[in-house]
Amino acid sequence: MTVELTGLTKRYGATTALDSVDLTVESGEVHALLGHNGAGKSTLIKCLGGSVRPTSGTIALDGRPLENLTPRSAIDAGISVIYQHLGLIDGLTVSENLFLGNELTAGLFVRSRSQRIVAAESLARIGADIDPDIPVGALSSGGRQMVAIAKAIQRDAKLLILDEPTAALSPVEAAALGRLVLQLRAEGLAILYVTHLLNEVMTLADRVTVLRNGRAVWAAHMAGTAKGDLVRAISDSAGEAPAEASNVDRSGVPALRVPAAADGVDLEVFPGEIVALYGLMGAGRTKLLESVYGSRPSSRREVELSGEAVTLGSPGAALAAQVALVPADRHSQGLFLSLPAQENSVTRAMAMLARLGFRSPTREREVFDEAASLMSLKPHNPALPAERFSGGNQQKILISRWVTSASDARILLVDDPTQGVDVGARTEIYAVLRDLAREKGMAILVSTNEPEEVIALADRCAFMADGAVTGIVDVPGTTAEELLSTIHPSDADDHSDATASPSPGNRTTTRETEAA
Amino acid sequence: MHPGRRLLYFVAENPLLLLLIVLVVVVQLLTGAVLNPGNLRGVGLDAAIIAIVAAPMAMLFIAGYIDFSVGSVLALSGVVAGSIMAGGGDPAAAIIAAIVVGMVVGLANAIFTTVFGLSAFVTTLGSLLAVRGVAQLLAPLPVSGFGDAFGYLGVGTLATVPLAIWIAVIVLILSSLFLSRTPAGRHVYAIGVSREAAYLSGIKVKAIPFALYLFSGAMAGLAGAITVARLNSAPAGQLGQGFELTVITAVLLGGVALTGGSGSIFGVLIGVLFLGLLNNALVLLNVPSFWQDVASGLALIAAIGLALVTGKLRQRLVVLEARTLLRSSDTTTAEKVSS
Repeated sequence: MTVELTGLTKRYGATTALDSVDLTVESGEVHALLGHNGAGKSTLIKCLGGSVRPTSGTIALDGRPLENLTPRSAIDAGISVIYQHLGLIDGLTVSENLFLGNELTAGLFVRSRSQRIVAAESLARIGADIDPDIPVGALSSGGRQMVAIAKAIQRDAKLLILDEPTAALSPVEAAALGRLVLQLRAEGLAILYVTHLLNEVMTLADRVTVLRNGRAVWAAHMAGTAKGDLVRAISDSAGEAPAEASNVDRSGVPALRVPAAADGVDLEVFPGEIVALYGLMGAGRTKLLESVYGSRPSSRREVELSGEAVTLGSPGAALAAQVALVPADRHSQGLFLSLPAQENSVTRAMAMLARLGFRSPTREREVFDEAASLMSLKPHNPALPAERFSGGNQQKILISRWVTSASDARILLVDDPTQGVDVGARTEIYAVLRDLAREKGMAILVSTNEPEEVIALADRCAFMADGAVTGIVDVPGTTAEELLSTIHPSDADDHSDATASPSPGNRTTTRETEAA
Repeated sequence: MHPGRRLLYFVAENPLLLLLIVLVVVVQLLTGAVLNPGNLRGVGLDAAIIAIVAAPMAMLFIAGYIDFSVGSVLALSGVVAGSIMAGGGDPAAAIIAAIVVGMVVGLANAIFTTVFGLSAFVTTLGSLLAVRGVAQLLAPLPVSGFGDAFGYLGVGTLATVPLAIWIAVIVLILSSLFLSRTPAGRHVYAIGVSREAAYLSGIKVKAIPFALYLFSGAMAGLAGAITVARLNSAPAGQLGQGFELTVITAVLLGGVALTGGSGSIFGVLIGVLFLGLLNNALVLLNVPSFWQDVASGLALIAAIGLALVTGKLRQRLVVLEARTLLRSSDTTTAEKVSS
């Protein structure tokens, strides 16, 4: 069986998420799909899974085009997408989950016994040692992943799409998953494997396609592809302005100092400086920011603010100490989506602008206007609910809380500021952050997993892995490729055996090196 | 904004207002009795007691909470105020005692829901039962005979308008000012839209609902004092039976979202008046009492359907306006806005 995408294009308004992408997956083949956040990977798999309708282009199965794909008809056609959240229901048992929507029945009643027997067979077939009677909620991430795959197999999947399947897995579980992928490939399944991790591509894939800004910029067989080729294909250093020479004064007291945890190094951010906190997904970047900000009750952390040791106990305390956070998930953690843009922008300033306890509409409007023009917010409309703005403009609203004269923040923690933000808005956000540092002397710590962002934005780059800051380098004079290879240690640059079936042990070692 | 469009917005935001006017006009034409002063005073007094409790209930809804205990609090406070008066106490002391008793229950609700993080639904359902029980323990037999000074609270007038209506107007105005004109009031909305975002923005996500529960208890207590003053009797078992559902119905009719994050005190006022006038209309039209319940129930469902339709209308208006704003400057965002 062959699944062939031709000229697949998806536009959202004026934003092009996918730009005439061609891609082929065949039976008995693992095709890796690589690219940054926002490169178009999720849009592509959603098109295949039938939950997003492409603007143009075709998806064909053995030469027969599939029209008007829906989630149901995609499954019926043999396309199974396993999204990161897996789509399992925690309260139901493993066998109930496997048969959800396809129950075996006798008249009106579910034949639970038969379901359990078939479920046990499906699980055994993929080598998963899981009791079909226990609730899915009781399983580890690895176990849940196995159940999701068993479900796809039981539905006669011919094309299996895995979306960053190892993101939540332990190294041992990831190794087991790798073995399973190779077993399924040997059984003749076509597998589209979406990932950030170059080492997984090197060990598992037969073919690779790299997406960047919605375009397939690199497609090749793995035989003859070196890791360096992939690194170059993923990163897009051409279009970025090189960072101006940094002249931050680091002789004084740092605005923020996070003492090293265990075996790492201290993290210091000086007034007027932007430090990037760079690492892969799951490296613990968000957790570090949240533990400084005091919003994670289980892991607060002692830090030094301008030389003074404090532990910030809550966001309120952090803000009182002039430390602000721009959270990563703007929809659930940042914005009040149904409320007007102005209220979202002056959330914090409102109390300060109030007179005798009552809000001052004119002063709030002035501050909003100041914020909106500093951020080039489009549209400049205070009454429009936040949910009506594009992703980039939503992010601008969120950042705008800390840019005006009504904000007293000195230290800004920014978590993944350009996720789902288009290129234009990205550049504007970088410019604003740089101005905040240069002109207002703010100390800014930006978490990111994109090397280009580090280059475009930061004075220094702190590497993060396994919850610890492992090293710090000056950004001017370094390249995106050097940064990428620092977090992907290149033991697998020699790819000669990568296309052959690797031993499970091999994979485990790879994961461990990555974590180190 | 163009006046015509402003009117459209207003209607889209308060769809029930139109229905309310239609209801009054139609029933007035049919019976000729709605607008006579005696009838209006009766409707107004009923509505006033509901409105006094509906204002804090609406705020709790907007913040994503609920208070089922108000009917029982009304009974307990009524019984306490009644007992003080029956024992020859001071009317002011009786009113203050009623409010304090309400706040004590509000305090318990607040501690369980905000400090311990229990479900507001379950906690206040529990206090609904428990507080009713306490009221009946305190006064197994109805207390009555409270004297004229206290009775003034229930039936007295000021400039020909019943005192209770004045109180309701003051509560509604202060509540509306709080919600729309103070930072803490806007934080009520923020908490209801996204508790996590509110917490990360440094908003007091515990203190605000805590204060709202105290307010809700205090107002239910005040409503209890007014009710027994009006009845000149305090039957612990019957006082405020089903009152919480009436209040919640009025709040929902007024367009406050059960899921939190939106609603206004003006809407609540319309909801309270609509519910009161609907029941009044059915009485005036000699509709049997069971049918009155059927009608209020159907009205609630219809109002929610109406809110859905006008909500979409409002969305269209917002999009239209955004497009006009953008037409000259930036087409990119306009398309995003419309998509």
